[in-house]
Amino acid sequence: MSDRFVYVTFIRTTPEKLWDALTKPEFTKLYWFGASQISEWKKGASWQLAYADGRIGDTGEILEIEKPKRLVIKWRNELQPEMKAEGYSRCAFDLDAADGIVRLTVTHEIDAADSKFIKGISGGWPAVLSNLKSLLETGNAFAVPAALSSCNKG
Amino acid sequence: MSDRFVYVTYIRTTPEKAWNALMQPEFNKLYWFGAFMESEWKQGAPWKIVLPDGRIADMGEIVEIEKPKKIVIKWRNEFMPEMKAEGWSRCTIELEAAGDTVKLTVLHEIDKDDSKFIKAVSGGWPKILSGLKSLLETGKPLEDIKPGPK
Repeated sequence: MSDRFVYVTFIRTTPEKLWDALTKPEFTKLYWFGASQISEWKKGASWQLAYADGRIGDTGEILEIEKPKRLVIKWRNELQPEMKAEGYSRCAFDLDAADGIVRLTVTHEIDAADSKFIKGISGGWPAVLSNLKSLLETGNAFAVPAALSSCNKG
Repeated sequence: MSDRFVYVTYIRTTPEKAWNALMQPEFNKLYWFGAFMESEWKQGAPWKIVLPDGRIADMGEIVEIEKPKKIVIKWRNEFMPEMKAEGWSRCTIELEAAGDTVKLTVLHEIDKDDSKFIKAVSGGWPKILSGLKSLLETGKPLEDIKPGPK
């Protein structure tokens, strides 16, 4: 009784730069369609994802943190009642570096079969992580395609 | 009784440029670890992936092709006996313009549970498509990625 989404991308950068891009709000906003993660980034600290319009889309807690290698977040959507009802998911970010390239693996899982939440983030992560890769490699994120703007609605 | 791998990436390019990068051997070699696809790119035409040393890695046939939007390839690995024994897979590549980017979706599926072939392509596609995106956006492929399963 579980569901998961896994995404792997290879980015020409360093683990430290990628870590900053993942955890610093001013950086996150550039590729996460205006959203930012807010946390003190310590084990047990609270965590939230604030959308561009100021709403808190998701909340949770830092379960594991090992800079710049691994981050695990306990994560629940707050805006969509049917997703909130599914309870907490767990999102792990793993960074592995070799020869100037970092492999970023995002594993987002939940203890619910056919999860609406996992379906939702399965559409969002490829856009966010594609944009993150563009930003780190070219210095520019792309504009939010109209087709993707639903990502902002949580 | 089936297994599948899905990957979506957004690339700042045009569908025509992404299509050419997928179909032209000289372009393929830059991000596919020196390998390239060879075909006349017509429905029913044979298709294969040729490795840098000349061996044929995979072969099959073009099932559907609609430039620059969609291609479906009947696809079987030829040199790993346990993958070849799983029979034909089907790979659908779709390109869709989205704002100033192209949404590229790869769906690779086979009629078999816990497929070794799908496990292998699940490791390969993220590297190949990350390299393709870098090449189209920066002019440089990710030449340092090793082609092994990790």
